[in-house]
Amino acid sequence: MKDNILIIGGGIAGLEAASQLLKLGYNPIIVEKSDHLGGHVADWNRLFPDMTPAEEVVSRLVAETSEANIFLNTEISFVNKLKDSYNIMLSNGISVITGTLLFATGFSMFDASKKEEYGYGIYNQVMTNRDLEHWFNTGKDARIPEEGPAAMGFVHCVGSRDEKARNPQCSKVCCITAVKQAIEMKQKFPEAMIYCFYMDLRMFGKKYEDFYISAQRDYGIRFIRGRVSEVSENIEGKLIVKAEDTLSGKPVKVTLDLLVLMAGIVCNPDTCKTAGLISLPVDSDGFLKSRDNIADITESPKEGIFYAGACTGPKTVPETLAEARSAALEIHNYISRKK
Amino acid sequence: MIGLIFILSYCLIGLVRIILQLPKEDRRRFFLSLVNPKTMAKNIRDIFCDCLFHVKLWKRNKLLGYMHSSIAFGWFMLIVIGHIEVLLYTPHRAKLFYFPIFFRYFVAETESTMRGAFFFFLMDFFLLMVLSGIFLAMFKRLQSRIFGMRRTTNPSFLDLVGLYSLWSIFPLRLLAEGFTADISGGSFLTKSLNYVLNSFLSDHTNMLPAWWAYSCALGIFFVVLPFTRYMHIPTEILLIPLRNAGIKIRNARKGFAKAEVYSCPSCGLCIDACPMGVMKTHIKDTTVYLNRQIRRRNERRIEEISDKCLLCGKCTAICPVGVEGDKLRIAQRSLRKYSINPDYSDISTAELACSSEGKVLYYAGCMTALTPAIRKAMESLLQKAGVDYELMDKDGGICCGRPMMMAGRFDQARQMVEKNTEIIRNSGATTLLLTCPICYRIFKEKYNLEGIEIIHHTEYIDRLIKAGRLKIRKGKAKYVYHDPCELGRGCGIYDQPREVLASAGRLVEAAKNRKESICCGGSLGSLTLGFDKRKAMTENALANLTSASPDVIVTACPLCRSTFNRYADRPVEDLAEIIDKKSI
Amino acid sequence: MDFGFKISPSSAVNLDNVDLSLYDRLAEVEPDIRKCIACGSCSASCPANRFSGMSVRKAILGLQRGKEKEVAKMLSTCMLCGKCSMVCPRGINTRHLILSICKFYKED
Repeated sequence: MKDNILIIGGGIAGLEAASQLLKLGYNPIIVEKSDHLGGHVADWNRLFPDMTPAEEVVSRLVAETSEANIFLNTEISFVNKLKDSYNIMLSNGISVITGTLLFATGFSMFDASKKEEYGYGIYNQVMTNRDLEHWFNTGKDARIPEEGPAAMGFVHCVGSRDEKARNPQCSKVCCITAVKQAIEMKQKFPEAMIYCFYMDLRMFGKKYEDFYISAQRDYGIRFIRGRVSEVSENIEGKLIVKAEDTLSGKPVKVTLDLLVLMAGIVCNPDTCKTAGLISLPVDSDGFLKSRDNIADITESPKEGIFYAGACTGPKTVPETLAEARSAALEIHNYISRKK
Repeated sequence: MIGLIFILSYCLIGLVRIILQLPKEDRRRFFLSLVNPKTMAKNIRDIFCDCLFHVKLWKRNKLLGYMHSSIAFGWFMLIVIGHIEVLLYTPHRAKLFYFPIFFRYFVAETESTMRGAFFFFLMDFFLLMVLSGIFLAMFKRLQSRIFGMRRTTNPSFLDLVGLYSLWSIFPLRLLAEGFTADISGGSFLTKSLNYVLNSFLSDHTNMLPAWWAYSCALGIFFVVLPFTRYMHIPTEILLIPLRNAGIKIRNARKGFAKAEVYSCPSCGLCIDACPMGVMKTHIKDTTVYLNRQIRRRNERRIEEISDKCLLCGKCTAICPVGVEGDKLRIAQRSLRKYSINPDYSDISTAELACSSEGKVLYYAGCMTALTPAIRKAMESLLQKAGVDYELMDKDGGICCGRPMMMAGRFDQARQMVEKNTEIIRNSGATTLLLTCPICYRIFKEKYNLEGIEIIHHTEYIDRLIKAGRLKIRKGKAKYVYHDPCELGRGCGIYDQPREVLASAGRLVEAAKNRKESICCGGSLGSLTLGFDKRKAMTENALANLTSASPDVIVTACPLCRSTFNRYADRPVEDLAEIIDKKSI
Repeated sequence: MDFGFKISPSSAVNLDNVDLSLYDRLAEVEPDIRKCIACGSCSASCPANRFSGMSVRKAILGLQRGKEKEVAKMLSTCMLCGKCSMVCPRGINTRHLILSICKFYKED
């Protein structure tokens, strides 16, 4: 009989791991709380650095996992620890007995309305990076004027590197996402003046720097080193954004038609809840704690429980996929060793 | 006897010193108030209510109230009746002030006293009352929770000496009078004790050590009194007329402040009240310890304690003797010396001018600039009600001065007050509307804007609704209202926001509310508390607010809103936002 | 040697010559001063910025570079309103920091 492996989360990490485990001859069971697979990536339009359609990535993974057991709209109700396995009760009434669990629970996006001074949910012209991707996908969003914004801005680090937002960590992917989205907006609306308000630009990945150079040189996107401190509205209903241009040492004020907040990556509160059921430790950054942050990132300190993707910290898509494969291999080794 | 003379002279000198330390006009005011029949009556009433009957404590906890009033009032009556006895029976000796205290000892042989059974009964009755109070006090040391106090003060060594001598005075008196009851007379208590004692100690010479012990305890108590918390007994009698004369703290250590510091009975009610108390490390930073350190002149600790405080004013609100913990601290802060002193005289108010002849001038303030939701909702409400208004600080303005005042830099704060006064006067506005309680408080207290109404938006919205200018659709949502420190305890506004909320939905109350509301922890009052130290306080305040499981937490302060919003598990909104959504 | 022209006094900050003893003492009382990431939130929200160029970020930088006079001038219109401490992403207690600078450094 094939070994059951319960994968919590049907995002790209869960799907990739399931696809690998199928190939290795196991029976992966994916539990996904939402009504669709692909997680956050499914909400995205195109991915850096090659502008690959997100849809392509997700549909490939979904196709590869067609043989896996997948439960949508399902959560973990409770977990019973048996002698050397777990009896897991799902919210749909099904119970699964398995010796191996894979957490692919991913992250949550920071609730941008918590940064009150940016006016998300208060002003009609403020949206988040996710809202913008949604608009790329659907073309429907009342906040974006048909003729395009005359001037727009991207605010980096919204809910990242911010003690006040209770998340002192860097979310890693927003810098490049902002540059990507700025370029996309400029492609759609060549007349628009686009600003990026950043604290530090962290262009660490493959071809990211090229992206940045292109944004500067080919698209004329203006980068202002200064964190936005206040957003207000003028009589015409346009946004007044205040920041300090820290490089010139002068405060800047600019009138914009659209402001995009780069909401950061924070730990998923549901992950913590589920982790609590089996008393998994949480690291000081709020994400799940690996056995070792260098050598054993995909293993939990508990026997038979594995991690993949952003449940242990902010990650890019290629990193997540690589980690999912690595976790599948770890699981395979673990099960082989036990036999 | 030595003790009594000592304490009387000490108190007298203390009294004269405090009065001398008052600024001249305050002193005049004080003496005038003493002869004014109205304040005189108030003084007498307050002294009786607070010093003898401890009315405030009764309201807090009946057991605690009984404990204090039984000892204070009982003892007072013992002295009064003792004097009456002396006057009645041995008037020639009434000049000796110690005589009544030891009446039973001296008057042992007098035949005539035997007829005073009524007084004997009264004496015994009040002695029993005092003894029951002492017994409760001993019990309180072990189980303070029953008295409504989770934590009490950690007494100093001299406080303990005072405490034990106070405790022993009355049992010893009982014992001493018990020995002599058959000679000098007594009633149900002393007489029966006398029978018991006589049954195995028939010798009357035994009474001597008992009377000595009694007088020793009394002597020790009075000698240590000035150096212990019991100094509050004489000082409070001075503090009450001073307060009724309308005198305020002018100097951090002298005059009225000194009277307050010495009036502190170290009861420790402020420990439970203090919002910082959720963290054990802050217990020694409460007002009772500030007073103790000021008495000891421990400058390092005084600075530490006064800079840490959030200035929420809760200790002041619940203090049974009326020590103003927040104002005392601000006064301590004002002693600091700085070598860089901001000066705003170069700021031109013409640049900030806004004309709003006959209109409502809306000063949003610094904090509201960071919570645009409040400003937007308020403006929308003003438009709906058809109010002609103008924004005063659309592009930023001058701070109201309250944060600077909280830091004890009065001169700088005064300069800001003057600048803003100029701008407001020149605008020609008739009403000044504020959405921030921090601003509202200083505008009310320190600005001289005669002819211009200063109003907080909770009051203003209430008025607009009552005048029918705003129509509200009542919903089903359950709201809890958080009283911001500066608005509630600071300015006494509790009812208007509640009335407004009740018209929009169902109002529920927090476990502790109104003047006992718990500070959100975000207060600008604290100078030294870092951001990371405040989380526990905010969570504690939130737990208090959500005890009746409301759907929305409503407040009327931009700072409270931001602070709660960071940690709350449900929406936190300003009153203006709620009403804006609910109004048609 | 005479080149026929003079080099004007350099405006460069010579870190070798900066006397940081006062700064170090300040940093002992206010260790948070080292946490600044120079994001500029404080400067942008500061109501005193328009009057004297007040900026906590610049003040911190100025002290680290030995430009104490400029800092003192900036602080001369600080109103201690606390907006900077509200917006600081590093949670620096800027109000107390400002008060400490006012205590440690002199105006002239």
